[in-house]
Amino acid sequence: MNTNLKVSNVTKIYPGCIANDNVSLEFESGKIYALLGENGAGKSTLVKILSGVIIPDQGDIFLNKNILKLNSPLDAKKNDIGMVFQHFNLFETLSVFENLIIDSDEKKENLREKIELIMKKYNFLINLDVPVLNLSAGQKQKVEIIRCLIRNPKVLIMDEPTSVLTEQETSELFLSLKKFSEEGILIIYITHKLKEVMLLCDEVAVMRKGKLVSVSEIKNENIETLAKKMVGQNLKTIKKKKVETSSDQLIKITNLNFISEDPFETNLNNINFSVNRGECLGIAGISGNGQSELFQILSGEIISDKKSIEFNKNYIGDLNPQERREYLMAFSPEDRLEQAAVPQMKIFENVALNNFKSSNFFKNGLINENKIKEHAKKIISDFNVNTDNIELKSQFLSGGNLQKLIIGRELITSPDLLICFNPTWGLDIGAINYIHETLIKINEQDKSIILISTDTDELLKLSDKISVIHKGKLSKIMNADEVTSEKLGVLMGGGEID
Amino acid sequence: MKLLQKNLVCLWEEEKLIKIVKRNQPSRAIFFLTPVLAIFLTLFAGGLIFYILGFKPFEALKFFFIVPIADMYGLSELLLKATPLCLIAIGLSFCFKSNNWNIGAEGQLTFGAIVSGGVALLFYNQEGFYILPIVILAGAIGGMLYASIPAILKTYFNTNEILVSLMLVYVSKLILDYLVVGPWSNPEGFNFPETRQFSYSARLPLLFEGLRIHAGIFLALAAVVVSWFIFYKTYLGFQMKVSGFSLKTAKYAGYKGKKMIILVFLISGACAGLAGVGEITGPIGQLHREVSPDYGFTAIIVAFLGRLHPVGIIFASLIVAITYLGAETAQIFMQIPKYTGQVFQGMILFFLLASDYLLFFKIKFTGLKK
Repeated sequence: MNTNLKVSNVTKIYPGCIANDNVSLEFESGKIYALLGENGAGKSTLVKILSGVIIPDQGDIFLNKNILKLNSPLDAKKNDIGMVFQHFNLFETLSVFENLIIDSDEKKENLREKIELIMKKYNFLINLDVPVLNLSAGQKQKVEIIRCLIRNPKVLIMDEPTSVLTEQETSELFLSLKKFSEEGILIIYITHKLKEVMLLCDEVAVMRKGKLVSVSEIKNENIETLAKKMVGQNLKTIKKKKVETSSDQLIKITNLNFISEDPFETNLNNINFSVNRGECLGIAGISGNGQSELFQILSGEIISDKKSIEFNKNYIGDLNPQERREYLMAFSPEDRLEQAAVPQMKIFENVALNNFKSSNFFKNGLINENKIKEHAKKIISDFNVNTDNIELKSQFLSGGNLQKLIIGRELITSPDLLICFNPTWGLDIGAINYIHETLIKINEQDKSIILISTDTDELLKLSDKISVIHKGKLSKIMNADEVTSEKLGVLMGGGEID
Repeated sequence: MKLLQKNLVCLWEEEKLIKIVKRNQPSRAIFFLTPVLAIFLTLFAGGLIFYILGFKPFEALKFFFIVPIADMYGLSELLLKATPLCLIAIGLSFCFKSNNWNIGAEGQLTFGAIVSGGVALLFYNQEGFYILPIVILAGAIGGMLYASIPAILKTYFNTNEILVSLMLVYVSKLILDYLVVGPWSNPEGFNFPETRQFSYSARLPLLFEGLRIHAGIFLALAAVVVSWFIFYKTYLGFQMKVSGFSLKTAKYAGYKGKKMIILVFLISGACAGLAGVGEITGPIGQLHREVSPDYGFTAIIVAFLGRLHPVGIIFASLIVAITYLGAETAQIFMQIPKYTGQVFQGMILFFLLASDYLLFFKIKFTGLKK
């Protein structure tokens, strides 16, 4: 049976912004639809309306020509609309099975059979009886999908599903989604990743600033045309100028080992590398292969053997992050909201997180507020952070602006080395480009970068040398121009190349 | 939990009469208004309980909250009780602000009282201006020593400070019990479980003739001023704030986490120890079995009711002190057990936690839309 979902003149206004401005769209089953847009374009609002979480101010939704009144997520479920949110709604300490049956009124035994059938059909390999907290992000997402499938949905909405997935998990997800689509489930796929749209979808609707900009078939589009529609302007293509890097060694890691007491962490095994001045070393890898541990050791959050890290001819392995900053190192961690910044604190207070003796933010144990504020204003103007109020709590900055503030905070002290971990994770194209330009610029100023990233395109674009981390071991270091994304893929999966 | 809240919101939305909407940012006004709301709800619930017990609610509340402080003596008693509460709560807010859960202020108070009492007993037959400062200092050191146990165990052995500090409370009470019954008991005391009277030089001076309020209140006020300065003007205060929000961030910023944990426990212990000094060297002037009617525990409520803000804590300590006095008057005039005071303290904490919901959600009355 065909499914037809229609959104008609939907408007949702929030104080200070129109999230959806008179949006009309029509979806047919048998196809995979992409809803594309930058952060804040209004795509999440639209799908929340479709799943009953938000009630629109105006407009109607029709399912197979019948008007739908969606006042709660329950209404959406009753009308066979399933939704997988970007952030999982699972009870971590309950088992997979308990999570799946929690909102169902069918009999337990029947459900178990049904769930096992679904898993067999789509080749989902999950142990139903382990607690959810033991699952990887990809597996958790599968649990969410199964939860929708139990109800035989006509429509399945996926909100930025790949932001937490590895590349391998992503391709598995795409296979499943295509299968669902063949079986007649209407799929709406929300993303800001252009490549995914090109790979997966049949039709694409682009949103910008709350308005629907275009609806078109994917075969009439390419990445450039979509990017243009999404951002609303011609994008500069950034290309790193190939400059002769010096042979002046800045940081050298020798025989670095790390054995963790935490079973959820990855041990590092005999890591050796060095970075010269003006060079960018990219470290690729599927997330969870030791990147986070390596970052923490390089930043000094985890202390290692004194001689394992030599920076500018000093052994610094036993110094904490603050002491390492004194030697002109800077760090940008992966987690913006829980580590690199404190969202509940004001913007200028966040600037003071990067303090060391010569920053003079604190003098004789007292806060030097004027100095910090002056510094914050400089970062905001130098790094294009879109705000004029440094007294604002930083939770009100968008992801892109917060990341610019963090990178700015780290770079304004003109460090010799910046170590960053997934610096453009979850950002929109505009912000990504800005961060990339900034990173290229500091390389040109003869400063070095260690870029740990799960985004291979980013690594190929920015790095001079690339290595791959797999299960806590680093591959040999390759020149970036000899590397292709296929090669990286093989190494990231644990394979070997000659 | 998140799921539950979401469902709750939806449940209300179906009604369309009242809507619960997530706040963008908890406003500062609400931050300080919810404690006031909690107090009103406590009064209401208290009145209801009195009504069920067969008393006239307004009259009972009057006995509880107004009669005890209607005269000078009452006011002096109020300040007397508020002093230790305020002092301990200020100390605790150092811990709580930085994500350290020191639940054992009662033990630190007791141990501070033991050490300062011990020193005071050394001088029991001497007079001199130097005695009181030594006694006070001894109390602070005693509290610090006792607080350092959970702090060191936490930093070096990864133990849980909640359990350790709480269990140490009972250890300190037993030590005190042993001392006042055994080696330190007054040789001329007919085997009463108490020590000798301290000499006048070892006692905090009373401020007014005939009233029990003593100079300890200045210690509390000094703690308020100093803590305000540390919280909002110093690097230590800044580090505490960051650690309170995210330990990961504190680590990334390079703060010396262990040093700070020990420091906040020491400050907290010193304040509790000083409160202990006030209890024994004030009007009582000797060590006995019950140095504190659980001030150390009640101060936890005070700290949160005052929003961990020094000025808030002053008000909170006065309000909670009334429940101590009210319980006594209620026992005398209405023949209800004085444990009613603890019921009120519990209700304040309960309603405070409940009304904190309003920090993150606001209630909107939309009227009938149908």
